[in-house]
Amino acid sequence: MRKFNITVNGTSYEVEVEEVGGAAAPAQKSAAPAPKPAAPAPAPAAKPAAAPVAGAATIEAPMPGTIVGIKVKAGDTVSEGDVLCVLEAMKMENEIMAPRAGKVAAVCVNQGAAVNTGDALISLS
Amino acid sequence: MGKIEELQQIRRTIEQGGGADKVKKQHESGKKTARERLDMLFDTGSFVEIDAFVKHRCSEFNMGKVNAPGEGVVTGYGTVDGRLVYAYAQDFTVIGGSLGEMHAAKICKVMDMAAKMGAPIIGINDSGGARIQEGLDALKGFGDIFLRNTHCSGVIPQISIILGPCAGGAVYSPAICDFIFMVDKTSQMFITGPSVVKSVTGEDVTFEELGGAATHATKSGVAGKAFASEEECFAQVKTLLSYLPSNNLETPPAYSCGDDLNRLSENLSEIVPEDVNKGYNMLDVIKEVVDGGEFFEMFDKYAKNIITGFARMNGSTIGIIANQPKFMAGSLDCDSSDKGARFVRFCDSFNIPLVTFTDVPGYLPGVTQEHSGIIRHGAKLLYAFSEATVPKINVIVRKAYGGAYIAMNSKHLGADMVFAWPTAEIAVMGPSGAANIIFKKDIKNSDDPVKTRQEKITEYTDKFANPYVAASRGYVDDVIEPDSTRPRIISALEMLASKRETRPAKKHGNIPL
Repeated sequence: MRKFNITVNGTSYEVEVEEVGGAAAPAQKSAAPAPKPAAPAPAPAAKPAAAPVAGAATIEAPMPGTIVGIKVKAGDTVSEGDVLCVLEAMKMENEIMAPRAGKVAAVCVNQGAAVNTGDALISLS
Repeated sequence: MGKIEELQQIRRTIEQGGGADKVKKQHESGKKTARERLDMLFDTGSFVEIDAFVKHRCSEFNMGKVNAPGEGVVTGYGTVDGRLVYAYAQDFTVIGGSLGEMHAAKICKVMDMAAKMGAPIIGINDSGGARIQEGLDALKGFGDIFLRNTHCSGVIPQISIILGPCAGGAVYSPAICDFIFMVDKTSQMFITGPSVVKSVTGEDVTFEELGGAATHATKSGVAGKAFASEEECFAQVKTLLSYLPSNNLETPPAYSCGDDLNRLSENLSEIVPEDVNKGYNMLDVIKEVVDGGEFFEMFDKYAKNIITGFARMNGSTIGIIANQPKFMAGSLDCDSSDKGARFVRFCDSFNIPLVTFTDVPGYLPGVTQEHSGIIRHGAKLLYAFSEATVPKINVIVRKAYGGAYIAMNSKHLGADMVFAWPTAEIAVMGPSGAANIIFKKDIKNSDDPVKTRQEKITEYTDKFANPYVAASRGYVDDVIEPDSTRPRIISALEMLASKRETRPAKKHGNIPL
C-alpha cells in the first residue's frame, strides 16, 4: 500500500494505492509490455460510492482488506445473516453479513475498493 | 403476641422487601424481585436464607429512621440440579438495593462460606450503587467484596448476573468474576451513566447504548452472554453450572453419554472447502464432534473470530477454543486473543480439558492492531496455553501459519495430542507470501514474473502446505481422517485423564495483561 497526495482543483486528497495481484514491479530489462500495474485510483474516486445514511446502522469493515464482491444494492431488503458484500483479507473471502433484517439504505463502497478497519461498507435502515 | 408469632411476623415483613408498592413498581419495569429470582435459580424449596435480620448502622442524614428489610440483599444457599450453590440477590425494592456496610457484610459472609465449602457463588446484581449516606463505610464494603472475589478466583466458579443497574464501583465485582450474564433492556453496566458522560465528553448516548446487554455482549466483551428474558438467563446459568466442577479441587461432573463414542462423522470429510480462500462455519465442525451436538458457547457475540465454549465428550466437560474462518478469516486480533486466553485460564483453573480446533491464517496485521497492543494481547494466548496443565488436545483442521500456529495450542506450547486433518496446512506462512519472499529473485528475473510467481506458489504449496512436514518432525502426533475426529479425541481424553504436570513453585506468573 502506497500513499500519494494528489491535488485536484486546489483540494488535496490523500490517496492510498494498492498493488493488485502482487506482481513484482516490471523488471527494467523486460522489453515486453509489462504487466499493467494497478492504475492509481483517480482522486475523486477515492470518495465512497455513497455516504453512510444518517440514522441508518452502518456496517463497518471488521479488518483491512479489499472489497471483491457486493451482493446487494440500495433499496434491497435483507434478512439477518444475508451476505452483503465480500471482503478479501488475510487471504480469505470474508462474507460480511447483515447483523439484522433491514433495508439497504446505501452501499458505501465500490467493488475493488481497499478498505480499512471501521470504514463504512453498507448502511442498513 | 407470643415469641413465636413475633418471629413469624418479623420474618414476614422482611420477606416483603420494600413493600407491595415497590414490588409492583419493580414488576412494572419488567423486573423480578430478588426472591423471585432466587426461586428461578435454585431447585424448588431448596433455598435457605441467612442473615435476614441484619440491619444497617447508619444514623447520618436521617438514615436512623430508614428501615431496610434484609439490608437490601437476600443471601443464602441451596441446590441447583442437586448441587450446593451459594447466592446473593440485591433487592432493588429496598432503598434501591444500594450497597452499605452491612449489605456488603452479608455478601462477604456468603462468599466466605462458598469459598470454605468449595461451591460456586452466584451474584445477582440490581443496585443503585453505593449508599451515599454511609460514605466511606459503603466503599469499604465494595473493597471487601473485591478482595474476596479475587481470593475466590480460580478456587470456586463465580458468576455475576446483572439484572438492573450496576454502576460505578459496583461493576468491578462482576468484572473480577468468571462470567457475567445480562438481560436485554434490564441490565446496565457502566462506570458513569449517560449524564456524566454528556457533561465530561459531550457525547449523547442512551443507557442501553452505553452499557446495555447488547453493548457488553458484542462490543466490550464484558458480558459472556446476553438474553431476552430473566427466565432464559437463569435457565442458561444452570446449564453453565452443569458443565463446571464446584471448585478447583474437583473434576467437572460427568454424565452418562447417549452419543456413540465411536461415531464417525461423514459430514466432516466435506466441511472444508477445496478453495482455501473460502470460509466455512467452524461451529458445524464442533457440533459434529461433541456429545449430542450440544455446545454451550460463551462470548458468542464478541470477537467472533475465535469460538469459546463448553461441551461434553464421553459425558465429561471439555473447554473448546476454535478459530472461526467465517469471521475475519479466523485471524487472531487483540480481542480474540484476549477472549481465548481468558477462557483457557478459566478451564485450566477448574480442571477442564482443552480441545482446540485450529484454522488460523495468522495474527491480524494493521496499524490499528499494532497500536492497540496486539503484541501484548496476542502474548496472552501463548501464555495461557503454555501455562495450562490440563489435558490439551489440538485438531488442526486447515491453516496453521506462523506465530498464530504456535499460539493455537501447538505441540511447542505443551499440547499433549496434536491431530491434523489431511487438509491441514502447517507452515511458517501462507504459500503466496512465502513464495514472494523465498523466490523473490526468481520472480524478478523471470521473463514472465506472473507465471513464475504462480509456479513458485504451487511449488511451495506442494512442498509445505500440508500436515506431513509437521508430522515428520513429530509436531503433529497423527494425521487423521476427519470423520474419525470424535473417537480420536475421546480416546486421547481417556488416555490423558491421569495427566500430572507440575510447574516450578512460584507465587504466580505475570501474564502480560
